[in-house]
This record gives sequence, C-alpha cells and structure tokens, in this order.
Amino acid sequence: MAQETWQNYRENKHLKPPPLKGIRVLEICTIILGPAGPGFLGALGAEVIKCELPPRGDTMRQMVPFAYFFRDQSLPMMHSNTDKYWLGVDLHKPEGQQIFRELAAKSDIVEDNFRPGVLEKWNIGYRQLKEINPHIIYISKTGFGQWGQYAEENRPSNDGGAQAFSGYAWMSSFPGRPPLKSRLYVCDTFGALMGEVAVLAALHYRERTGKGQFIELSQTENIMRAMSWVWPYQQITGKGAMPAGNRDVSICPADTFRCADDTFVAIAAAAPEEFKGLCTAMGKPELAEDPRFKDHLVRLKEENATAILKIIADWVRTKKPEEVEKLAEEYGFAASRVYTNKDVVEDTQFRERDFITTIDDPVLGPYVEYEFPVMMSKSPPKVKRAMRPVGFDNEYIMKYILGKSEDEIKELYRCGALGKWADVQGCRPPPEWDGKAGVIMARE
Amino acid sequence: MEQQRWSDWVRERDDPRIAHTKPEALDDITVLDLSYKSFAGCLCSSLLAEFGAEVVRIEPPKGDFLRTCTPYGILYKGEGLNYLTEGRNKFHITLDLSKPEGREIFKELVTHADVLIETYRPGTMDEWGIGYEQLKQVNPRLIFASITGYGQFATMSRSRMPDYDSIAQARSGAQSATGEMLPEGKSYDECPWAVPTKAGPWIAWSTAGTFMAAGILATLHWRGITGEGQALDVATAEAYARFDDYATLWYQGAGVVAERFGSLDIAGWLYCFAPTKDGAVFLGGLRLEMWQAFADMLGKWDEWGAAEWKSMAPFTQKEEQLKWSSLVFEETRKYTNEELVKMAVEYGKKGRLAPITPVVAPVCSPEEAMKDANWLDRGIFMPIQDPIYGELIVAQAQHKMTETPIRTKWVCRPVGYDNQHIYLKYLGWGPSKLKKLKRKGII
Repeated sequence: MAQETWQNYRENKHLKPPPLKGIRVLEICTIILGPAGPGFLGALGAEVIKCELPPRGDTMRQMVPFAYFFRDQSLPMMHSNTDKYWLGVDLHKPEGQQIFRELAAKSDIVEDNFRPGVLEKWNIGYRQLKEINPHIIYISKTGFGQWGQYAEENRPSNDGGAQAFSGYAWMSSFPGRPPLKSRLYVCDTFGALMGEVAVLAALHYRERTGKGQFIELSQTENIMRAMSWVWPYQQITGKGAMPAGNRDVSICPADTFRCADDTFVAIAAAAPEEFKGLCTAMGKPELAEDPRFKDHLVRLKEENATAILKIIADWVRTKKPEEVEKLAEEYGFAASRVYTNKDVVEDTQFRERDFITTIDDPVLGPYVEYEFPVMMSKSPPKVKRAMRPVGFDNEYIMKYILGKSEDEIKELYRCGALGKWADVQGCRPPPEWDGKAGVIMARE
Repeated sequence: MEQQRWSDWVRERDDPRIAHTKPEALDDITVLDLSYKSFAGCLCSSLLAEFGAEVVRIEPPKGDFLRTCTPYGILYKGEGLNYLTEGRNKFHITLDLSKPEGREIFKELVTHADVLIETYRPGTMDEWGIGYEQLKQVNPRLIFASITGYGQFATMSRSRMPDYDSIAQARSGAQSATGEMLPEGKSYDECPWAVPTKAGPWIAWSTAGTFMAAGILATLHWRGITGEGQALDVATAEAYARFDDYATLWYQGAGVVAERFGSLDIAGWLYCFAPTKDGAVFLGGLRLEMWQAFADMLGKWDEWGAAEWKSMAPFTQKEEQLKWSSLVFEETRKYTNEELVKMAVEYGKKGRLAPITPVVAPVCSPEEAMKDANWLDRGIFMPIQDPIYGELIVAQAQHKMTETPIRTKWVCRPVGYDNQHIYLKYLGWGPSKLKKLKRKGII
C-alpha cells in the first residue's frame, strides 16, 4: 500500500505543485541562522527574494572549508541558499530602503537576523513595514532575542556561541574532557528550522484571521528545547547533568563501538525483542534474562549499563562494521557504521529516495545537494536553483515584480541603491560563466 | 511623541508571561499521534500542541516504551524524564491497534482528525489496514505523517532495524567529523575520547520531528487551497544529514573526506572554543574586522600586525588555524570567562573598531545555563504548574510571537488518563462502553 502511495515518487516530482506555491518571502539575512529558513521555504515552493548589500553580500560567501571554494563559491553558502532570487540593494541608502518597502508591500513573510533595532534604523523594521502591509509575518532570528540583558548589551552571536551558552556543547563531550563543538552549525540550522515552524503556524493563523505578526527567535533558547530531560533532571535531583560521550544515558544499550578494523559502529537495542536479538547475535542469549539487564529501567542504571556496554564493546572489537550491520538486520536491532561525508554522498538509499539529488544549474553547473527531507506524496518539495552572485537577479526583480522602467533601474544603479557582485571569490560567478547563462531578464 | 523603545514595544507584546491571554494559531486542528518509541514523533506533536492544536496521543494499553527511556532509569512520579518534557498539552488515550476491534475504533477517530503522526516500521500500518491508502478512503483531507529510520520507500525501508537517535547521528555523516583529534603518536586505547563523537541531546530525533512539523504545516496550507490531504515521509537520518553545511560539496568538489578538527572549525576562523583560567569560551570573528577587533581587545594589534591583515582567506587554512589557535589560547588562558566576556562587551562600546566586537560566549554547563538570569527573565525555564506532576521545569518559549505565542498548559499525562474525555468527546461513548472495551483489553 505504501508502495502505491510512493510509486515513482522521484520521477513524478515535477508533475506536482509544491505546497507553498504563491507565497513570497523577503529575506535580509546573513550566515546560516537567517538564510537557512527562507532556504527551506524555497524548497517548499515559496518565491524567496534575498537582499544583500553589494558588492560583497552575505559574510557567508567567504566561509569555506580550509580555503577551498567550489567553482568559486562558498560551500555552506550554497547549501543554505538554494531556490532564491538575488537582489543587491544598499539599505543604507533611502532609495534602497524604498525598494525594500515596495517589495515588503507585496510579500507574505519578511525574515532578518540583524541585531535588534538595526532594521528600524534603516526604516524597514517591523513597526514600519506593518504600516505598509498589516498582513506581514515578520521573523527576526538572533542570538539572544529582542529584549533582556544580553540583547540590551547588543551582544553579537553565532552558532558556536549558542552551543557554548546553552550547555549543548558541554553535554556533547566525553566525561572529564573539555566541552566539544559540533562540526555542524546545529544551533543555526535548528534555529532556522524552528523559526519556519513558527512562521508557518503564523501563516495558518493569518489565513483564518487576516492578521500578521512579529516573531522572534533566539538560537540559544531554541537549542535548549532539544536538550529535553536535562532541565527537569536538574530541578528534581538538584544535580548538574553530566556528559557521557557516545553513550545515550536514556536508552540502553545505545553507544558507538570500535570495530576490529578500528572503524566505528553505532548500536541501539532497547526494546525487549531488540535486546533479545542483540544478545542472541552475540551468542549470549542468557543475558536477555539476566536480572541486571532484563528490564529496560533496571538496565539503564549506571552499574548495569556500564556492564552491558562493556560486554558489547568486547564483542564488537572482534567484528567488522558490515558484519554488525548484517546481524542487526537479521536479529532486529539497530546498527549503523559511522558514515563519513563520502559514505553519505555514495549511499544508495539516499539516492533511491532522491534525498541526495542533483541540481542542474545554468550558472554553477550540475552538482549534488540534499533535498528538503520531508517527502510529500501530493506536493513534493524540490530544490532546483543554486545560489547566485550578489545582485544577479536585480533586473528580474525590478521589472517582473516591481514593474520599474529601464530608466528607473538605471537611476537606481547610478545612485548606488542597486549593485552587483565584487570581483572576488565567493561573490562572483564561476570562471566558466559565459555572461548569459541563468540571466532571466535580458541577455546581451 | 517619542516612539517607544523597540525592545520595550516587543516585550510588551510577546513576553511568555502573557502568552495565555492571546489567541492560538492552530486551535482549529485535531492531531492523532500514535508515535511509538520515538522522541521525534512526540516532539513533532508537541510543536503543534503548543500552538493550540488538539493533540490526542494514542498509546497501546501498556503505554509507550519511550516512557522508559529516561536518564539512568530515573522516574519522576512514575514517569520517564524525556517523555515528561514532550507530553505537553496533549490528551492521552489507549487503544490496542493489534486487535481488529481497536483498528475499527481508530478509523472512527480518524474521521475527526486533520493530522495523523505515526512512527511504526514501514508496512505495519498497511498490515493493520490503517495505512494511508486505507485511511484516505475514510478521510480524504487527512495528512498522514510517518517518521521512521529509513523512510517509506526504497530498498532500506524494508529493513527490520528500528529508529534511534544515536543511529541517525552515526548515519548522517555528522558524528564522523565531530570530536577531538587523536594526538600524534597516540592510539584509541590511550585516548578513548578522541573518536567520532555524537551530540549528547537527541538532536537527530528533534530535527526529524521539527522537519515533520514544518512539513505538516506547509501541507495544511496546501490543503487549504486544494482541500486534499496527503502522506508525508521523514527518515530520521536524512533530516539530520540535511543540517550538514559543506561536507557533501567538499567531497564532490575536492574529494576530501572530512576529519575531526576538535573545537576548531574546518570552514572558518576565528571560530573556536578557547581555554581560559576557569573553563573555556567560544570565540567568533568570521569577518576580518571582528578578528581584528579580537586581536585589539587582547592588546595584540601591533604585535600581530592586525592593521596589515587584508582578508580572512589565509587564516582559514588548516596549518594557519593550528598556528593561530595556539597563539590565541596562550592569551585566553590569562583571563577568566567573565573577564573575557566583559572585555568584548566593553570593546563594542569603546574599542578602536567599535561597535564591531568579537563574539565571546562562556562555555556553560547546563547547570549554569539554567541559573542564568537572562534566560530566566526571557521565560525559558518558567515552572509549569501541572495538575498531576506538580511544579516542573521544562524548556519552553523557544520562539516568541506578538499574536499567537506558544504556551505550555501542562507537561504530561499518565497512560490512558484522558480515555473518558476523548472517547466521550469524539465518539460519544460513556463509562459503561469504556468498561466493556477495557475488559476486552482494547483500551
């Protein structure tokens, strides 16, 4: 039956409309916390207009792994900025602010991640925009929110700051070792995602009542939500929550183990039939009946958990990861090799599901990117368009959306309200670009 | 008239303490949540419930196994702590779906629902006769949301392996390149902590649940236009892998397999944890001016030649990062966390490059975080007065809204606590009917 629902899903994606068709989003965001949210909405079919200050644009354009640019572009910038139209607009200038207001009047959602109050100084804050468009849903995502001590101190923030401040990094390290920063910009992206949950709920409310609203999100507060048991635990026991390395202290067994070949495999087997399966696979079915391990709540106790994890660790040390995975499949517990980025790109399951998908882009060429990870049987999300150089779609936006004349556009360039990319890596098109591909309005 | 200060204006409208006085965005929506052994499912329905959706949790008569997934096996008033944090605002009923009669009752409930969340192994719902294709006959407007380890279609979807947060973290590619670097000449036996390291919290499950909540809301919008429901499919490892920012492209373009880089950052400088006299701080200065401001703040403007720096590019190379981090750490070790944080705030006021200032954030334990006056003031840890569990602290108010803010009305309910209320409300069944069903083991 599920086969029927999902038959030829990837082949037929383009035949179905995306869920947010007809929704317009105006973005003035940098790095990841800001841009990733509109990026999600873009994959869901919204029309996203990203504003950047010309000629250098988003700071993220210069962030690359060990100084490596992909076709002259920043890799993380590409990832958070698919399916957007690119406006290079100087918001310090009154003419630039006017363009922003004209676009806001025709938009459903506005997103920024500047420090509190900056956009009001540019005359495009929420209080100013709601006068033009009372239906607007406006979200501002920052480190510390719009009010409170840290916001008042005007502190800047970013992902690593939120990992530090929240206790998230502290909980993600080995006991007795220094707190560890995740390789992922997890507070940024999780913040961006949670922000869209709020935006979409606000959209639902607007459809019922016509009312827009202002939303604020602090990336630090948001990641605290994902820390779950930590808070009531501290309240109830009066003790601080402690890190536990790769061991999951709420599920037993669940840990990462070293294999015979010095690679790593994660195993989890908590429910009775799963745990029995693991014990049988290890050739020790009697462990499933051992009073220390039989019941999950008893098994979770420190001394029992340590004992069973030691038994498993010794067993895995004699196995290869693929052997463990095969046994997991056979006996019904969970196991996975610790995937590298290479493993992810080459994984056949991700490909079959089109989660790892190809963007065939006129400017950047073909490359592999992640799909929005919610498959929808009747309104599939789809990443289609790669990021663009600063101001790449100025003419399209000015003409198609704002209906400006050639003379008006020329004047906006002359006064510096509009601008395009600087000739530096990260901001400009790739070297192979022919000056025409991808240009929407006029190709000379 | 002087305009009110922006921060005051916002606070007057979105302080979580007045959330209960405002309307709710989703109070026209009914959700059935039959997720089992999945924090992703529970978080997903929480995100809808805190916006006012009526969420009915349907558990087997013995309760959700997730209730036993609690740190060190600790129970509070009979409840596991993870379940306790994401039971919020939900009604809890029991129903045995493994029995045909239970499934018939379930179909009757589905006629009243807008959204269904489930996390059983792919194929289970079909076998029970309550898969999407069957339920859409009963309710064509139903949004049928499934969260599983490997998704509803493609080869691995037939896997017997259950869905766990730790497995998804391993599968996503995130764990492999997070962790301390193995010191030169050392082995794993000597440094068992210098290995691929997962995040402590259930972040993969949280990510899957949050993506699904976004998906449900987007398709509710689409349903408003077309009148049609549909099936949604999230695979936990995919949801979390989507958070990877550059590793896929790095491998495609340069063939690089990402490796652990400790608490430095592969894609940016200045962007690391640094040791201090009494702990560690996070340092952030991705823009040249912020990195210069940092050097200046430490009194190293001249010695390090900060005025001559032209771009960040040279600093992001691996070898340069290792060189500069040791210089920086030598300095940061001279100060306490508090001193460094203050220095950055002051620099933002009076420094040579003010208002530009580096990000300096203390690396806090959750114990310190929970006492921080800033978060307390912002309403993140407001105790909830729960009618059953008493006064409890769970993280809340992760976003704040002027018209339809989220709120936590209660934290959790015991198994089957709301059978009477919900079966009466939706199916009109009183106590005598419920007694019969209970005798048969259906509820």
